[in-house]
Amino acid sequence: MSKTGIIIKREYFIRVRKKSFLIMTFLGPILIASLWIIPFFLAMNSETKSRVLVVDETLMEKEGVKSSLYLHKFKNNKELIFEYGYDIQEAQDKLSQGDYDAVLEIVSTTDMPPIKGFLFYSENEPSLSAQSEIQTQLSNILKDHVLTYDYGMSGEDLEWFNNPKIGFYSKDIRSGKDSYKEIKTFLAIISGICIYMFIFMFGAQVMKSVSEEKTSRIVEVLVSSIKPVQLLMGKIIAVGLVGLTQLLLWLVLSVVIIGGLKTISPQTFTEPQEENITINERVISVDKVGEMASDSSQVNQVIQGLFSINYTLVILMFIFYFLTGYLLYAALFGAVGALIDVDTDAQQFTLPITIPLIIAMVCFPIVINAPSGGVAFWLSMIPLTSPMVMMMRIPYGVPVWEIATSMGLIILFIIFCMWLAAKIYRTGILMYGKNITYKEIWKWFKYNN
Amino acid sequence: MIIFSTNEVSKTYANHKALDKVSINVEQGSVFGLLGPNGAGKTTLIRIINQITAPDEGEIFFMGEKLRSEHVYSIGYLPEERGLYKKMKVGEQAIYLAELKGIKKVEAKKRLEYWFNRFDIYSWWNRKVEELSKGMQQKVQFITTILHEPKLLIFDEPFSGFDPINANLLKEEILALKNKGATIIFSTHNMESVEAICDSIALINKSKKILDGRVDEIKQRFKKHEFEIILPKEEDISNYIFEGTELIDKETNNNFQVSKLKIEEGRNAELLSRIIQNTDIISYKEILPTMNEIFIDTVSNE
Repeated sequence: MSKTGIIIKREYFIRVRKKSFLIMTFLGPILIASLWIIPFFLAMNSETKSRVLVVDETLMEKEGVKSSLYLHKFKNNKELIFEYGYDIQEAQDKLSQGDYDAVLEIVSTTDMPPIKGFLFYSENEPSLSAQSEIQTQLSNILKDHVLTYDYGMSGEDLEWFNNPKIGFYSKDIRSGKDSYKEIKTFLAIISGICIYMFIFMFGAQVMKSVSEEKTSRIVEVLVSSIKPVQLLMGKIIAVGLVGLTQLLLWLVLSVVIIGGLKTISPQTFTEPQEENITINERVISVDKVGEMASDSSQVNQVIQGLFSINYTLVILMFIFYFLTGYLLYAALFGAVGALIDVDTDAQQFTLPITIPLIIAMVCFPIVINAPSGGVAFWLSMIPLTSPMVMMMRIPYGVPVWEIATSMGLIILFIIFCMWLAAKIYRTGILMYGKNITYKEIWKWFKYNN
Repeated sequence: MIIFSTNEVSKTYANHKALDKVSINVEQGSVFGLLGPNGAGKTTLIRIINQITAPDEGEIFFMGEKLRSEHVYSIGYLPEERGLYKKMKVGEQAIYLAELKGIKKVEAKKRLEYWFNRFDIYSWWNRKVEELSKGMQQKVQFITTILHEPKLLIFDEPFSGFDPINANLLKEEILALKNKGATIIFSTHNMESVEAICDSIALINKSKKILDGRVDEIKQRFKKHEFEIILPKEEDISNYIFEGTELIDKETNNNFQVSKLKIEEGRNAELLSRIIQNTDIISYKEILPTMNEIFIDTVSNE
């Protein structure tokens, strides 16, 4: 086995065998699972009543009597109260004023029966029970209608009644731009925070491990057997592998937990994003909705259309930024570890590298709000923040050239940081009992080891 | 045969010269003492020998070849600043360090069993290092230094931190290793240990080598022609001295008169024959300078 291999083996197993690793391994999936479960749980048990304004374009007025297929057909229940209106403009105002929680728009189409023209707008994603309630009621109304009048419907349309679908929009009722914002935001936050946590947790481990070897003085014996660079690399690789192991275990356990809950209660855990994609395909066929979609498509030359998230890309990018972010910071944390001795003030050296991490986190509301904005763009180009910030942008769609530039920059920067870290590391680890200053570090670059 | 040598090795750090054209030659199977005050450059030289740092100039030869990275397997190093992983188990740690010196795990275990038993610490195999006393940790560290049976051993201040019993044990082990054919370089301030175990020395001061050679030769070189004469207490050395001899010290106790004389070179016999005609000489010997004196003299004359 190569010497680096021996280092990796020790550094890896010593961590994996720790109790804290085991505890984190089991706590992690519970946390992840609860992130998924809590919204579903809250949605199931929401006792608040939602006021839904039904805006019906098919409403006819004959001799002062309003009539429509839908008028007064919706039944109120403990969760939903239905009211009826005519004007979509008025509905928009009322929704934004908060008079209503949601608007169900019934679009007049030439289709008979009008089974495809339903749009649902709300400030927040409707609860799952509300969604299925509205769908059930809609299909019942239509079923009654179809049974009364024979329209000679095709098989596909009849099929729709078994599983009626409505487009669920959130937020902007006027443009429809913000659809799927929740899922994208969720993905962006989860992946951004995941990378941030990973960098902090495991980067700090590299730092701690380096400074422990220095303060215990064992490093002098080690570097008489192995090159300092090999030692540092072995450590970085091993800690990274520990992180990957942990992540893998988390994923496996999370899948098991979520999977287990799904089999217990399959209805509750239907995945909304997949459904939504099919809903929109249906809805887009309606002319009016088509207009809405077209003005949003101008917004971006994005990799994928706004209405779907390229999950393969998200996963691949996550792996890329996860690893590069870790490598970059592990090298820097390793260098800092080599500067810390028993009584040196670690703060002065850890601060410069934790600041970019904190900046990335502080800025993430800005990034989420304007994923293509200036702050988001520059932070996703600067290698010290790009692993987190680019990951937050990717679910919203990012031009290929931006991704490629960001990836190229971070790789170049990693090479630079590794070189820098190796230089600082091999000098720093042998400087005992001396308070190292930045001035002194600068001098190290002027002589060879 | 010279097993290790440096040829005009220099090393400059950013703000000072740590070594200035230092050349040393170490005989195979000898104990070589690297002496010098603090900050003279000893540790730098030792780190260069261990390839922890590289010299700016000069060449280093080991076993007839230029020093290269494979040579670390034939060198054992016990640094002055000693340490082990505190949370790691003793046996595991020793195996790990042995593996880094190129020994297979099985072989390392076998050798460790022997040494742990010899040092009477085998029962600590599965304990964490932090549970061990300082002396025991030192023993563990010593074992890990020599386990790969290096041809060249480097001990930096090996006796610091050892209690007298363990220091003696260590001294015996060092001599035993020498008898088995290992070459030992060790740096120290402890001049008594230099007298006791070193064959040759090099004295480094202010980054330059200022003295080197075999210990006995150096002593001859630095001798001051001083002699100690012990006579019966009734006698007085003053009656015998002549031009060219100088009485440095004279002391009479219950039984003898002990005096210290400086005698001009080649006139020992003259003095002795004068005395011997009148009285018995109980003892007569040349006073050779101690390494401590030579060290202080040479360094302070710089």
